[in-house]
Amino acid sequence: MLLEVEGLDVRYGRTHAVKALSLQVADDELVTVLGANGAGKTSLLRALQGLVPASAGRIRFGGVDITRMSPPERLRQRLALVPEGRQIVISLTVHENLLMGAYCRSDSDVRRDVEGVYDRFPNLAARRDMPASVLSGGEQQMLAISRALLARPRLMMLDEPSLGLSPLLVERLFDLLRNLRADGLAILLVEQNTQMALEIASRGLVMELGKVVLEGPSEALASNDRLAAAYFGHAAQHAG
Amino acid sequence: MSEASATASFRSLPVRPILLAIAVLVAIAVAIFAGGKVIAQQMVSGLMLGSIYMTVAVAFTLTIGVLNFLNFTIPTLFMLTGMVAWGVLSRGYLSVAGGWGWLLALLIGIAVAVVASLIVERFTFRYLKTRHGDATEHAIPLVSSLGFLLIFEHLVLIALGSEAQRFPVPFKADLYAFGLVIGLPQLASLLLALGIVATLTYVLKRTRMGRALRTIAESPDTASLLGVDVARIVPVVFILTGLLSGVAAALFTVNYGDVSPFMGEHIGTKAIAAMVLGGLGSVWGAVAGGLLVGLAETLSIHFLGGDSVQMVVWGLLLVVIILRPQGLFGASAIGKAKL
Repeated sequence: MLLEVEGLDVRYGRTHAVKALSLQVADDELVTVLGANGAGKTSLLRALQGLVPASAGRIRFGGVDITRMSPPERLRQRLALVPEGRQIVISLTVHENLLMGAYCRSDSDVRRDVEGVYDRFPNLAARRDMPASVLSGGEQQMLAISRALLARPRLMMLDEPSLGLSPLLVERLFDLLRNLRADGLAILLVEQNTQMALEIASRGLVMELGKVVLEGPSEALASNDRLAAAYFGHAAQHAG
Repeated sequence: MSEASATASFRSLPVRPILLAIAVLVAIAVAIFAGGKVIAQQMVSGLMLGSIYMTVAVAFTLTIGVLNFLNFTIPTLFMLTGMVAWGVLSRGYLSVAGGWGWLLALLIGIAVAVVASLIVERFTFRYLKTRHGDATEHAIPLVSSLGFLLIFEHLVLIALGSEAQRFPVPFKADLYAFGLVIGLPQLASLLLALGIVATLTYVLKRTRMGRALRTIAESPDTASLLGVDVARIVPVVFILTGLLSGVAAALFTVNYGDVSPFMGEHIGTKAIAAMVLGGLGSVWGAVAGGLLVGLAETLSIHFLGGDSVQMVVWGLLLVVIILRPQGLFGASAIGKAKL
């Protein structure tokens, strides 16, 4: 197993955001985490990357215990996160954002890999020396993913990458994720777009109020009534 | 595509420094031809004084831009350099250095400022951030830096007394150009200050460390996600702050030949005015602001007398921020422009 999470707890003051969560991702697997707003998905990813501390539980990545590691240390273990809202550095140029993606690397292939990004996304190449703030939402998402890939992760986690994108761009995004997975990258995908996420994922987890309430192969989840309930039934009751 | 590359090449030119240099030269030329030599001479002195404000203003800009922290210890670091240099020199510790004792004394003063700056980082900024996270933003680091200002100032008062002191500068050489007298130390100060700022700009814009600092300035969380060890890089900002304050103090000491335990307060308040005038968070804004404040100071002394200086400088600042709240060179609203 590439990523093994056991009994993870995340608390912010009195809020218990993630409760005794266990999760595994294999080497070339695409696993999706589904659930309504406030179910604890973002907290889960932030805790896995080390942006918030785990108050209990253990996280192993590539056989190494990373539970107490800082986000940069986890990145050097080659675990990367594309955060919610993309978090492009808007005062840096497109090119500088990409160079920041390779900040953790000291090898000489960085230049070649950055050129590889430009080959893949001509839109980014055309704007390489402009501030990243001029990019459209779709271009920003491509930049955010490319930036994460430049750290050469073994597992890439994405937090709602389709948010705010047009249906056409969402299609392109999921094509990209499918290709990356085919290239052997493991992916942990948090999504609101349940249907498309389950189409590309091999397995899925459904979270509700910080707990995993449902888990299984994508096909089984897609036809499970409990999935709809997690979004509309229980979540709505608790929110109300 | 062609539009993109045109914009790109435009952006890569150092537009602001070029504009600034042209503005300064034009102003002096106009002064020589229209106002006569006396005014031109005042302007030259103003620019030299301004180069010191500018260096201190850049120190303020750096901590505000990267850490969102108005570091009130900067005036103290400035004073520490001058007073420590005078202290070691006047007690004869440096007689072995012969005629170069003054230079060695100033270098020791700068080193003390850097060490003091790191102490401030360790005991206010880092301690508070690691213990209490974002809850401490703005107010508590600011107030604790004010505490350090007073503690360092009074340490110096106890150790070296409250008198202003002569710092013996061994050379006095003047340059004559276009009928103006230009002190060689002054000219060297201006060039050195500009050189430091240009180097700093280069580091911020073109190096790996600079990119990391600018990323922290925008979002420490994102920087951390990209592998930047934020806690390790923050001390770099404090080292640079100590260096800039110390070098500014050394230039001031060499030019004006005296030091006092209160020398930092004068310079510090004017440097803050200069920074806001030029545009918060913009390094070249701090440069322009520093030079402008220096000019405003010498010209108001000439025309209105010494007591008018503070009114003119702060009056100018108020007028500018009413007309242009982001300052002369600030890119956007106050506090949003980041280096």
